[in-house]
Amino acid sequence: MNAVSDTSGSGHALQGIRVLDFTWIHAGPSATRVLSDQGAEVIKVESNQALAVVGGPSSATARGLGQRHNWNAGKRSISLDMKTPQGVAIAKRLVAVSDVVAENFSGRVMPGWGMDYQSLRQVKPDVIMLSMSGFGRTGPWKDRVSYGQTLQALSGFTELTGFPDSDPSGPASAYSDAVGGMAGAQAVLLALLHRARTGQGQWIDLSQFEALTSLLDTLVLDLSANGESPNTQRSGNRSPSGSGAPHGAYRCIGEDRWVAITVSTGGEWESLVHVMDNPAWAKDERFATAAGRSGHVDELDSLLETWTSQHTAEEVMRLLQEAGVPAGVVQTGADLAENDPHIKERGFFRHVLDAKGVSRTIEGAPYKLSRTPGGANRGAPEFGADQTYVLREVLGMSDEELADCAIAGVFE
Amino acid sequence: MGFSGQSQDSEVTEDSIGQQPLTGIRVLDLSGPMGVYCGKLMADMGADVIKVEPPGGDPMRDLGPFLQDEAHPERSLHWLHFNTNKRSITLDVADPKGVELLSKMVLGADVVLETFPPGYLDALGLGYTVLSRSNPGLIYASLTPFGQTGPYKNFKATDLTGFAMGGYMYVTGWPDTPPTRLWGSQAYNTTSNRAFIAILLALYHRMATGKGQFIDVSMQEAVAATTEHVNTTYNYTGESAVRCGFRHGGQFVATWRCKDGFVSITTNTQQAWDDLRDWMAQDGMAGDLSSERFNDRFILRGEHGEHIEELIQAWALTHTRQEITDWGQARHHPWGPAVRSDEILNNEQLWDRGYFVESEDPSRAKKVVYPGAPYKLSKSPWQFNHPAPQVGQHNREIYCGDLGLPEDELEILTAQGVI
Repeated sequence: MNAVSDTSGSGHALQGIRVLDFTWIHAGPSATRVLSDQGAEVIKVESNQALAVVGGPSSATARGLGQRHNWNAGKRSISLDMKTPQGVAIAKRLVAVSDVVAENFSGRVMPGWGMDYQSLRQVKPDVIMLSMSGFGRTGPWKDRVSYGQTLQALSGFTELTGFPDSDPSGPASAYSDAVGGMAGAQAVLLALLHRARTGQGQWIDLSQFEALTSLLDTLVLDLSANGESPNTQRSGNRSPSGSGAPHGAYRCIGEDRWVAITVSTGGEWESLVHVMDNPAWAKDERFATAAGRSGHVDELDSLLETWTSQHTAEEVMRLLQEAGVPAGVVQTGADLAENDPHIKERGFFRHVLDAKGVSRTIEGAPYKLSRTPGGANRGAPEFGADQTYVLREVLGMSDEELADCAIAGVFE
Repeated sequence: MGFSGQSQDSEVTEDSIGQQPLTGIRVLDLSGPMGVYCGKLMADMGADVIKVEPPGGDPMRDLGPFLQDEAHPERSLHWLHFNTNKRSITLDVADPKGVELLSKMVLGADVVLETFPPGYLDALGLGYTVLSRSNPGLIYASLTPFGQTGPYKNFKATDLTGFAMGGYMYVTGWPDTPPTRLWGSQAYNTTSNRAFIAILLALYHRMATGKGQFIDVSMQEAVAATTEHVNTTYNYTGESAVRCGFRHGGQFVATWRCKDGFVSITTNTQQAWDDLRDWMAQDGMAGDLSSERFNDRFILRGEHGEHIEELIQAWALTHTRQEITDWGQARHHPWGPAVRSDEILNNEQLWDRGYFVESEDPSRAKKVVYPGAPYKLSKSPWQFNHPAPQVGQHNREIYCGDLGLPEDELEILTAQGVI
């Protein structure tokens, strides 16, 4: 690739930014990982009362451990009991030396600690506060609680994802949390840009429900302009904008192996037919035009599958890509980690050391910035690992102060 | 037009709403479907996003659905949704005169957003290396299916095949259905969301250094970083995650069929699990679930999973979505209904917060509802300033006004099909 000669950058875009991070589980930590990857110092404020939540310091499962590292690599951790007045006092001292405060509690928690935006502004006038809640901090549902699946159900994604003739499946996993994380990172960066221009901080009221609803594509417009129609119902793997057929996942040789194929132009259809070695069925007049292919799509799908099922998914992808037809293996976790030569060469997965020197695999940033590539260089912190650095070096607390707090149970 | 509601006072006081965060940032949006949402995100946050359409109009204008189901390039809901707040010019970027005009425009631009195959714009003399020579602060974001490097860099992909290659499709759906896409074009949207983050990082870096940079975004990686559990499961357990519908991994985060549809019941705490069992017992439908051996809420993942699932499913069918939601939320459990499309526009929370935006249909006196701000910034907010532009609506303004092209030359270039 010759597009860029200067790819030697080793910089970070957010050097010098400090983030006080109260977020937990998935959405919040994935937002602040974007910031820590780019050089921001992210200090997680953790409590021993939530050690075992997903991505917590002592996640109960191997998968939870993976999530701990994946969303918290490169961060620092302190232990602070926010139910004690001294704990809140220390947190406020940290706010005074931070640029961003992030939290994803339900609406009652931060005000309960005296840590709402108006209070934080007294301590740090230009502070940027990111509040990521399920439903936002105003309105009749502001105190409701949610998980990713709750929001997927409420936004319509659950009912709208899947095949018309079977139960909806909804998105696997918590798409909503990933979306909330991306939105949270965007909002903080926008606020940092605004602060750099005007000196103003601000409060970000992020409703993960709204962030997810923003991704329904044309549905909201369609419902308001045209009302209910087949366009507003789940349609399996058909093209969402009706831009062509075939358009789906097709069975290949092997157990639960599939290839995704889409055809949007006449040229791509001809190439597909050629690659299949011109089977008689493909010459059927019903399939000669785009409208004909869309009109007989069920039959088209099963005939295409008679061909794909004689090949491996990798073979189908290679043959069709050589002919210029979009096709891709429906990749599994094992495919991504072990078998995909492309993602390996791009270095998407990164290997970082945890506190005990064990190598941990994490996802890298899905973008490459030529001057500020960033990237985490260590795994997630152990619970309270940075007590000394944060309390002594950042806040300059004395032995005496620390001892008093320890006796009062502030660090538990 | 439509919702605005926020003042644009130039005087910034401590509590005033200021300018939008990207006001004054000019973006040349050369993108297709993979990047069009990124352009929208920037435009909605105040950037001057100029959509560069091929002469005759962007092919996206042919995508349905259409306003009142009437197929027309200015009535594509796809176009209207993804191009709010943008301006439009037409230009054949492959024509030498087009290259010249675009190069000139780049001198006054902050961001170039493009989704051509790797090397395409380089070959035309419109690559980052060339353009950044005359504009070192330029941020140039290239969004492609597989990125600018690696053995698959020239592979083609659409939303569906990108979703497949990124590892999200395999786990979506039920064990007895094919792997399934999400509603909408979420691989494209995710690529745009990721690219927007990268562009904002580059803008922040530029404020400190004056230097722009090149951004290489891969749709496959954008999707792969968004699956939550596919990579962590494999990398930390050695097993690939499989399809399990809306029973997320362990059934303790699950959706169930109920009397009038589906409802999400997450037993994320011991209290939630105990409350659920108590309610089932009150209804006389808990079976042996109240016994001590089922106290561990993670037991749903174990050997008794099927038995427990049958009990919960049978019980859920005796209640409505609303009953289950209200009962759970009253106890602070994250339970909620799976809404159908006809209910989406009726959500009281979204309307109360002013989320939805209503705008006049450009050609008829009918209101169209748009999705609103993905997040609320108190001092530099998202705004709906104007609807998507018509084909080449701003040709004269930009070519003659900004670039100083004489009117007669604009006419000649238009006749020649360059503009």
